Amino acid sequence: MKLDRLSIKAYLGIVSLILALLIPLIFGFSHYLLTVLILMLVFIMYASAWNLLALSGQGSLGHAAFFGIGGYTSAIIAGSLGISPFATILVGGLFAAFIGVLIGLTCVRLKEWFLAMVTFGFAIIAHTITTELSWLTGGWDGIPAEKLISVTIPNYILYEYYLVLLITVIVIAIIYLIMKSKIGLALEAIRENELEAKVMGINVTKYKLMAFAVSAFFAGVAGALEIHHFGYITPEVYGIDLSFLPIIYCISGGLFTIEGPILGTILITLLDEGLKNFGFTYERFVIIGLILVLIVIFLPKGFVSIPEKIKSMLKSHS
Amino acid sequence: MDFGVLIQMIVWGLYAGCIYILLAIGLNLIFGVMKVVNFAHGEVLMLGAYAAFWIYTFSRINPYLVIPVSMLLIAILGVFIERLGFRPIMGTGKLNEIFLSLGLIYVFQNLAALLWSADSRSIHSPYSNVVVHIGAIKLPLDYLIIIVVTIVFLIAFQLFMKKTTIGRAMRATSQNREAAALMGINVERMDMLSFALGSALAAAAGSLWLISGQMANPYMGAIPAVKAFAVVIVGGLGSIPGAIIAGLILGIGENVLPYLLQAFVAVFHVEMSFTAWKDTIAFFLLIIVLILRPTGIFGEKGE
Amino acid sequence: MKYGILFTVLVVSVLLAGCVEQPKETPSGVEEIKIGVVAPLTGGASTTGLDMWQAAVLAADEINAQGGINIDGTSLEVKLFQGDTETSREGGVKAVTKLITENEVDILVGGFSSGITYADQVVAAEHGVPFIVTGASSPVITKRTDIDTSYFFHHCPTTDDYGEDTLLFVDEIVRPAINERFGFPVDRKLRLAVLYQDSKYGEGVYDGIQKAIAEQNLSVEVVAAEKFKMSETDFRTVLTAIKAAKPDVLYPAAFVNEQALIVAQGRRDVGLNTIYLAVECNDDPDYYSGVERWGEYSILESRFSPYAIPAGAIHDSVAQYRQDFENKWGTSPSMMGASTYEGVYIAVDAIKNAGSLDKGAVREALVNLEMPQQIEAMEGGVISFSPDYRESKFKLYMEQLIWDDSIGETRPKIVWPDSVKETDFVLPDWYEPGST
Repeated sequence: MKLDRLSIKAYLGIVSLILALLIPLIFGFSHYLLTVLILMLVFIMYASAWNLLALSGQGSLGHAAFFGIGGYTSAIIAGSLGISPFATILVGGLFAAFIGVLIGLTCVRLKEWFLAMVTFGFAIIAHTITTELSWLTGGWDGIPAEKLISVTIPNYILYEYYLVLLITVIVIAIIYLIMKSKIGLALEAIRENELEAKVMGINVTKYKLMAFAVSAFFAGVAGALEIHHFGYITPEVYGIDLSFLPIIYCISGGLFTIEGPILGTILITLLDEGLKNFGFTYERFVIIGLILVLIVIFLPKGFVSIPEKIKSMLKSHS
Repeated sequence: MDFGVLIQMIVWGLYAGCIYILLAIGLNLIFGVMKVVNFAHGEVLMLGAYAAFWIYTFSRINPYLVIPVSMLLIAILGVFIERLGFRPIMGTGKLNEIFLSLGLIYVFQNLAALLWSADSRSIHSPYSNVVVHIGAIKLPLDYLIIIVVTIVFLIAFQLFMKKTTIGRAMRATSQNREAAALMGINVERMDMLSFALGSALAAAAGSLWLISGQMANPYMGAIPAVKAFAVVIVGGLGSIPGAIIAGLILGIGENVLPYLLQAFVAVFHVEMSFTAWKDTIAFFLLIIVLILRPTGIFGEKGE
Repeated sequence: MKYGILFTVLVVSVLLAGCVEQPKETPSGVEEIKIGVVAPLTGGASTTGLDMWQAAVLAADEINAQGGINIDGTSLEVKLFQGDTETSREGGVKAVTKLITENEVDILVGGFSSGITYADQVVAAEHGVPFIVTGASSPVITKRTDIDTSYFFHHCPTTDDYGEDTLLFVDEIVRPAINERFGFPVDRKLRLAVLYQDSKYGEGVYDGIQKAIAEQNLSVEVVAAEKFKMSETDFRTVLTAIKAAKPDVLYPAAFVNEQALIVAQGRRDVGLNTIYLAVECNDDPDYYSGVERWGEYSILESRFSPYAIPAGAIHDSVAQYRQDFENKWGTSPSMMGASTYEGVYIAVDAIKNAGSLDKGAVREALVNLEMPQQIEAMEGGVISFSPDYRESKFKLYMEQLIWDDSIGETRPKIVWPDSVKETDFVLPDWYEPGST
């Protein structure tokens, strides 16, 4: 039974990866489609990073802070020192991780919604600091960020897509390994019952900080990738929406699972794009909000649990 | 800085503090009884302000008389939020409450924008040109009313909780839910009631805000609400006096502190403006308090 | 395994649905001019975005009603494509990419909110699509160096322009009026307070003010300069601090919602009984309804007003535009829409001049454009773009708000410059000057 489920997962993973590789071939070279997909991949990384922190029971409401810090650090270093974005993206991630640990130090002792408030507030503080340091960050005007791949290269967007896809696969693989390792188990134990975890000899503070660091790192990498794809960064990256999006993706897809954030990001993005084609404006967000509410109440394990639900429903019928 | 100017600034802080207190008391009540947190409390404030706006627009009665109607409507909404949203997920984990609230924020904000557009709405107070002189301070009558109304609400709230059977039952439920249920208290009814009352207070805050010259728009609730959360945490979960004191500290602090800081750095011949940092003061305060005392100033237990 | 397959089918079908929904526009020969309108139709700035879109539709309908334009015997109709930036960077980049690569538009018009437009620009620059920016006020738009800006044309005043005209008016009209009323010496410098948004817009206006004072050698001194955070709602404290500095006039650099609150709170709560100036983007119906009686006698800079029509050359066309807009949409037009309306005409005119839809040729035509002014007064009566940074030059005017009992709101009267003015500037009875 367990083996069966695992193989389905692996099978799905491989199929979706092949699909991702083939998309430009199937649908033809479409700049718009690739732009949507690149953003989708960036958000898959970002949502997975958020999910990893949530795995430890720490639900951040201000992850845009790390997304933005990663982006600004990378853009500033790439711009001022003329270093290739490929290197600065990692630096951006590392700096975000460093800040993540600092915030984590405040947060490790806090429970759910205390932590939610501190992280939310931190995103606002990060936003203000960025706009106030205008000599460095360009203030509200922002600063240009070097493109990942020069636009002078023909079909650069195709290369950019495959590049971001590759990075996404690597990031997901690393997060998967972490989740399956001792660290992942420890994080889950902490989420289930912090006291028990402590009794079992788990160093709660260490693991929680580790989760903060790794999560902030990947959020920073995702942020840096996005702005180097855009070619420009403004303080809008700290927006409340950007803190909420990964949460929506994770919940709708399935919390605490590796495939949840991926599926959630894909489905919600497609839903959003699809509704946009019908000319829906605010209705889109009302629908997404309602879906979120319904999922939290009726499908707490997200879309990934639908097959299981169907299975158990079929079983109870027969 | 001129002393008279400082006093005047403190008065503005007092007014801002009143709004935070009304929001924070409602949050505290809901948390006390149900042990849940509605992050969409700011959107409840927003809907309260819109309710006041529409009732006023169609009836043209004195806007202060609109407040009870708006409170009643939003109290009913609060009951729905509790029954349809928070009741089903009770006991499924704290994170789920945050997620549910997030969904509600999206629904309420965009529904408001969809139904009423993102335009700003305002109410004309009949007393808007009446100014009361208290010593050297000139205070528009509307602000005096807001401060008085807030105090009246606080007293009425305390009396309700202390003197009435229902209030006592609610307090019993917040202290020990199981024991209260065993004693024959209908705790589910208390849940509904706490949501109704908490939402009504948010509606009062929203209506008062609108009458005092603020403008209503679908996004108006977000920032005051998160500041109210900060107030609740700083004051200590479940502590009413804590919420009042923290609310006043925040209201006055975020209004006066930027100028004190400016005056302070001026001593070192540094010219710097801190007014843009206003919204961050609540969170700096929050982080500092939580580092020093993870349960808040008046909190007994961390949740 | 069965469910696994079922599930894969599900995911794939959703994927397909999501992607196939955007069928590529079949290239329909050269029968239409495709114009992409970039505007926020959802999110914080959606009110402005809707106005821009509606104005663009009106322009396109007018052009098509006259049979479109004629190039080499082929008549072309204007077709508009909507690009909703969702008031966000992701939304903006997606929208502009879609307009350019899916809808294959010939030219872009619109662009509101500088922060979002910066990101959009990268896409437009990359594909070399001409972009007539009619909403974002940052002068950086056509001056940035990280991308090729030669395809960007700025058809709305920038923050550099705002301060200059307002300050000239203050120096020429307000200062003498105060000196005369209160018996001050003629050489007394006017005490100006500035309250600016902590954005490039706000800082840009403040810079413009200082530049104007220095360059025009005005008899004005800045006695207070305070900053506030964008979308602030409580200005009482900062206004109390400003009042303590005893200014003669207050110049806020704010958006509509903030400006209305600044004036109302200043007059009503703080008792700062002074002349309030305002940047042009505040000349919006929301301002009049939001500021109530407190806006009485305050000054608005403008280029297109919902309620005032400048005397002189463009009087009739403005009245006609307003009428048509109200007939079509049932609401009154506002300023960002006005320049977007003109933007569509500019685009079509340039294509007509270029005699082709080739983007390079259209760009060339825009550079050399000389088109009569339409519904907004231009310098010299002509819409043309400066050779250095491709900015058009508007002729801004000043309005004073006068209470209208029959409407229950204030209404603007143009008081400056002489060429378009309706009436004289009035220093209200309740006005209190700063220190002597």
